[in-house]
Amino acid sequence: MSSTPWSGPRLFTAVGAVVLAAVIYLVGLPEGMSVFGTTLADLTLPAALFVGTAGVAVTAATARAGRWRVVDIVTASVLGVAGGLVFAIWNAASTPLRDAMVPPASALVVGVWLFPAVLGALVVRKPGAAVYTELVAATLSALVGNEWGFATVWYGLVEGMGAEVVFALLLYRRYGLPSALFAGAGAGVVVGLMDSLIYYPEVSPGVKLAYVVIATGSGVVIAGLGSWLLTGALARTGTLAPLASGRSAERV
Amino acid sequence: MTALLHGLDIREASRAPLARADPAAKLAVATVISVALILTVDPVTAGVALALELAFLPWCGLSPRKLFRSSWIILLGAVPAGLLTLVFGVDGGDVLLGLGPVSVTEGSLSSAVAITLRILAIGLPGVVLLATTDPTDLADSLAQILRLPHRFVLSALAALRLVGLLAQEWQTLTMARRARGFDHGLRQLLGQVFALLVIAIRRGTVLATTMEARGFGVDAPRTWARPAHFGLFDWAVVLGGVAVAALATGAGLWLGTWNLVLA
Repeated sequence: MSSTPWSGPRLFTAVGAVVLAAVIYLVGLPEGMSVFGTTLADLTLPAALFVGTAGVAVTAATARAGRWRVVDIVTASVLGVAGGLVFAIWNAASTPLRDAMVPPASALVVGVWLFPAVLGALVVRKPGAAVYTELVAATLSALVGNEWGFATVWYGLVEGMGAEVVFALLLYRRYGLPSALFAGAGAGVVVGLMDSLIYYPEVSPGVKLAYVVIATGSGVVIAGLGSWLLTGALARTGTLAPLASGRSAERV
Repeated sequence: MTALLHGLDIREASRAPLARADPAAKLAVATVISVALILTVDPVTAGVALALELAFLPWCGLSPRKLFRSSWIILLGAVPAGLLTLVFGVDGGDVLLGLGPVSVTEGSLSSAVAITLRILAIGLPGVVLLATTDPTDLADSLAQILRLPHRFVLSALAALRLVGLLAQEWQTLTMARRARGFDHGLRQLLGQVFALLVIAIRRGTVLATTMEARGFGVDAPRTWARPAHFGLFDWAVVLGGVAVAALATGAGLWLGTWNLVLA
C-alpha cells in the first residue's frame, strides 16, 4: 500500500483533469449559445479553471477519505441488496400508480429508486459509495425481473453518478442534511433526463422540463430527506458502529 | 416477498451455444445494441435490430415458455410508452383520429411504433443475458475478464446470497411482531422494513469479519476456483452483436429515417 496520495490511477485522473481544463481553454466554449445574456465563450476561462481545480481537488479528496475496508464494501453491498428488494416490491406496487399518471406527474414516484445511492454514501462515506450501492440495487432489481430489463443496470449506474457528483464536489467531507438533499437532487435530475431521453423522446419540451423538475423534487424529498432520516435512525440503533457514519453518530 | 423472488432462480445450465458464451461477451452484445438504439428513434433501425435479434433467438436456449416468462414484463413498459406517444406525442401529418385535445396523427403513429419497437429491441438482449446467466458466473467473468475490482464483485455476490436469508428473517419478524400484537398498517410495515435493514447490516458486518478472517481483501494475488475463459467463440458473439448494431444503424441511415435523438 502506498502512502502518497499521488500514485497510479489517481495521478492519471488528476493529470487528465488538468489536460481537459487546458483543452477547454484552448478550444473555447461555443460562441453561439448564451445563458442569461452571457455567451458561453465568455465563460471559457472560469469553466477551464473549475474543471482543472475541481478535478485535482476531488482526486486528492478520494485519497484523504481512505481506502475501502472489507466492512465498508460488504455493508455497501448489503445496503444495495436491501435496496434491490425494496425496488422489487416498489416495481410491482407502483405499476398501477404509474399507469394512472401520465408524464410529467409519473415522475413523482421516481425518488424511491434513488434512495440506495444517497443512503450508501451517507452510511459508508467512501468515494464511489453512491454509485456502487445504487448499482448493486439496480442489478438485483434486474435479476429479480422488472419491466425495464437490463436497462435497469445502466439506470442504476447513471443515477448513482448523479448523487456521487455532489459528494465528490463536497470533497467527501460533508454528509449532513444539505449534502443529502443535493445528492437526491443530483440523482433526480439525471433520472429525469434519462427517462425523457429514452422513454418519452417525442413529447414536447415543456413536458420534458416539467418531468425533470418533478423528478428532482421527488429525489430531494424521498431519496435525500428519506435517506438522511434513515441514516440517523440506523446510527441510533448502534448498527453502524464499525463504520465512519457510526463513529460520528452524535453529530448525525 | 418470496413470491417476488421466483425470478432469481429460473436460470439453469443451458446447452445452447449463445447461452454458454462468457457473460462478459453477452454483456458486451447487450451494451452495443442498446447504445446503437438509444441514439435514434426510428422504426427502421429498431425494427431491423429486433428482427435480427429474433433470428438469433433459437440459439439462445430459451424455450418459448421460458422466454415468455422472463420477457412479457418488458411489454408492460413498451406498450404504455408507445400508447402515450401516440396520444400525447408531437403531432405531424394527417389527422387519423381526433377526440377534442387528443389527436392521433401520422407523425405520432410512426413515432409510437418506433418507440415500442425500440424498447423491445433494447430489452431483448438483456432478457437473454439475465435469463441464461448464473450470478456466480457473471461475478467470475466481471472480475477475471473485465478486471473489475474483485473485492467489490465478490462482496456483491456474497451479499446477493443473503437474499434468501433475509426472506426468512422477514417471515420470522412477521411472526414475532404478530405474537406481540402489532396489527397491520403502513406504520407497522415501515417499522418492520427498518428492523430488516438493521438485521441486514448486522449480518453484513459479521460477514465482513468472517471474510477477513479467511484472508479476503489482503493485498496478495488472488486465485480463482472457477477460471473464466474468453475464447474465440466469445469474440465471435461480440462481433455478432456489433454486426447487429451496425446493420440496424446502416439500414436506418440508408432509408434516411435515422435521426440523432440528442440533436
